[in-house]
Amino acid sequence: MSDNNATIELKEITKEFKSTKVIDQLNLKIAAGEFLVLLGPSGCGKSTTLRMIAGLESVSNGEVLIDGDDLNNKANDGHTIAMVFQDYALYPNMTVYQNLEYALKVHKVPKDERSLRLESILETLNLTKYKDRLPSELSGGQKQRVALGRGMAKKSKIFLLDEPLSNIDVQLREKARDEIQNLHDRNKQTIVYVTHDQLEAMALGDRIAVMNDGIIQMVDTPDNIYKNPTNLFVAKFIGTPQINILDVKYQDGYLLIANQRVVRVKQTANIEPNDYLLGIRPEHIKLSKESDEDLSIPAVVTKIVDYGRFTQLTLELDEKYTIKAVTKDINCNIGDTLYVRIEEQTSIIFDKDSQKNIYWDRV
Amino acid sequence: MNSKKNVLWHLPLIIIGLVALLPVVFMISNSFKTLQESYQSILNLIPTKPTIDNYTTLNHQVNLIRLIWNTFFMATIVTLGKLLTGLLAAYAFRYFQFKHKSFIYLLFVATIFVPFTIVMIPNYLVIAKLNLLNSVIGVALPQLCDATGIMIFLKTMEKIPSSLFDSLKIDDIPNRRIFFNIVLPILRPSIISVGAMFFINSWNEYVWPTLILKDKGSFTLPLALQNYISSEGGTNFPLAMALSSIMIVLPLIIYLIFQRYILNSISNSGLK
Amino acid sequence: MHSNKKILPFLYLLPTGLLLTIFMIIPIIYTFYLSFFDWNLIAPTKDFVGMRNYVEVFTDPVNQKVLINTFFYIILLLILNFVIPYIISLIVKFFIKKMQGAYKIVFFIPSLFSLVVGAMIFSWILNPVSGPVAFLFRESGFVLPNWTNSGALAIVVLCLITNWKVFGYNFILLLTGLGSIPKNIIDATTIDRIPKWRMIWNIILPMNKSIAIYVLILTIVQGLQYVFTPTNVITTGGPYYGSSNVLYHTYLNAFVLYKTGNASALAITTFLIFLVLLYLEIKFVEGRSKYE
Repeated sequence: MSDNNATIELKEITKEFKSTKVIDQLNLKIAAGEFLVLLGPSGCGKSTTLRMIAGLESVSNGEVLIDGDDLNNKANDGHTIAMVFQDYALYPNMTVYQNLEYALKVHKVPKDERSLRLESILETLNLTKYKDRLPSELSGGQKQRVALGRGMAKKSKIFLLDEPLSNIDVQLREKARDEIQNLHDRNKQTIVYVTHDQLEAMALGDRIAVMNDGIIQMVDTPDNIYKNPTNLFVAKFIGTPQINILDVKYQDGYLLIANQRVVRVKQTANIEPNDYLLGIRPEHIKLSKESDEDLSIPAVVTKIVDYGRFTQLTLELDEKYTIKAVTKDINCNIGDTLYVRIEEQTSIIFDKDSQKNIYWDRV
Repeated sequence: MNSKKNVLWHLPLIIIGLVALLPVVFMISNSFKTLQESYQSILNLIPTKPTIDNYTTLNHQVNLIRLIWNTFFMATIVTLGKLLTGLLAAYAFRYFQFKHKSFIYLLFVATIFVPFTIVMIPNYLVIAKLNLLNSVIGVALPQLCDATGIMIFLKTMEKIPSSLFDSLKIDDIPNRRIFFNIVLPILRPSIISVGAMFFINSWNEYVWPTLILKDKGSFTLPLALQNYISSEGGTNFPLAMALSSIMIVLPLIIYLIFQRYILNSISNSGLK
Repeated sequence: MHSNKKILPFLYLLPTGLLLTIFMIIPIIYTFYLSFFDWNLIAPTKDFVGMRNYVEVFTDPVNQKVLINTFFYIILLLILNFVIPYIISLIVKFFIKKMQGAYKIVFFIPSLFSLVVGAMIFSWILNPVSGPVAFLFRESGFVLPNWTNSGALAIVVLCLITNWKVFGYNFILLLTGLGSIPKNIIDATTIDRIPKWRMIWNIILPMNKSIAIYVLILTIVQGLQYVFTPTNVITTGGPYYGSSNVLYHTYLNAFVLYKTGNASALAITTFLIFLVLLYLEIKFVEGRSKYE
């Protein structure tokens, strides 16, 4: 057990609001010093989960353990947990400096120590010249940095952040993201970070917990979540442009789209002749102007969007099947016919009923 | 430990609740006691021999119907007048741009803080000159000068997004229509609660009736009740309590029906 | 069309404007005018006396007594109708978890009733001979003093009656103010493990300042007007002006003693004091509105 960080363990957490289950038997272990991101659409229960870790929300059932112990049994000095709120929750009647200092003052951190800590934080966050201003005199980005600074000042073992970047301008977001990243690199606190923005989650998290309907769908590294999502929800929620989902049929070792063979299945044995959903990310679709492969299928270009870095094409396989693909090197016009090829190692097959990834055990 | 602490905090609140309610309960219960019982069993909440004698006596001594009608009529006129003038003025402040707007608004709102003693002599003289003493109009007019309605309605109207008004303007909808077809329906809950408050205030009004109504036939309930209270100790309390009980029926009913609205709109300020 | 647009807003303001001009603004000016005359409300002629009425406001012993009483009233009203409701609203907001709604509903009920009813009930409850409190005092061996004979005690009783009526109203106003403090700010203090009393002192009270000042001024300005009713019903200012205050004394001078000039001077003096309060109100409360 280090003094800088703490482990967090959620055991069979259930939360009910007026007999509606918001969180259902949630289990999650967060290692000391880990940067964990809770990611999910709004209303999925991620903020509630964070607030339960913070002790702001009681749990209906289950346990929240900080370093193996209940939060209420910890010393009452505010040193365990710091939190940054979505709307910052700065004390409006206090200046920037007083905001940062308040908790330390109440918990009797000596004055020298206080000013030493705060000077360095103000310096790091570029707030030194605003330190005597009131929150109402600051811009959104500045307020966000003050909120971050107020959390940092406590040198807590756990740092909770509730959508801290959602209220600031897009241009400032990347910089703020870097600041949070640096903060973690330097202090090695345990961080739980709530967001609905998948890019933020991918950039920041050591691990990401994807939540939906009060249930954690998947906890893993950003890379695994992207490449090997456990189920259809995770696959669809992560990645822009969104993953293509196609109705397919499995027959004799091949996946068929509209009775045409498109993928040869080799890597999984437990697959039966049936209907499935095929997931393929737009960047994994191979395009060519000639029909050079066995399993390539013709498709008509119906829409072209040039993003500069890449071009996004909308292709129609037939009336029922439309897919999106991104490409860097193919020049084409609307109405052209291109040949589409889907490879097994980049594609995912979902069971149609359970929506689970049947490649999940694939190495 | 925690729950014990909690109970302790409830203690002062329960005491205050009792102080608020017990007088009312005593009042109602005493109104059904005979004068003798009211002296003998002071703390009895339930009369041993409930009687409506006080109410029948009251009915012989004063013209109850007349009293209730006078009070009701005055309160209705005051309520409708204050609602109409308040809504119109608030609409002007919310949706028009005009010169000295902020100054005029402050001037209006400032009148809330002017005590009646500053205006009572001239107002009495004007109403006497207009031959309106002892009349409902005479006693209603000074009560209409109240800017609380403007304040509350303006606060409610500020919650209607400006974009809605802009789009109506672009569609060239006349103001009269916006006022009646859009603003009034949106403000309905607020109008109901403010109206309820205005009515109750006027129903209970004492100052202006005292100054303007001298003829017993024009009396409102509070003035009639005052006649049953004397400082010399000769008061027949059960009788006074019967009249009081009659007086509180209507405000209580209004409160019980619109309780949620009323409490909400006080949050937006102003019951006198 | 153009001039029509300019006139339109004033058409909407006309009813209120007319009422306020006739029954508020002109009367204030007229009262000011009357304060320089000796008059009895009826006589066809008024005698100009210059500042004499104003001098009397401060030199006449009865007026001095009334001014001191007014000060006493204000202190008492502030404690009863502002400080206590504020403490209670803090308790309801921060120290209990259940029943908030029930307390709101119950505390507000007395606000529905006329102060004449309040005056009647309390003159029975506190009746030194036949009231329940006197009865309880007797049972436990004490004697309830006859408060109608003492100016100071009468003032306390009159304030208690208004307190009974106004308490719930002020309580709800203050509670609303506390309720409008963002929940996240309170959560932030929970995370920082700030003790509750420190949170209230350092964060809640400063944040709730403007509504508190509004209620404070309302307490003084309207409290004195509320006191008028029970005063007139129960004590008529007695004994020997012992329970009178500036507002009641103005009424007494105007409509009982027919000393219109003195009444007007008293009224204008009150007005000036209230103007100062009004200035404070505008500065702290309306100052936030965009109609500055």
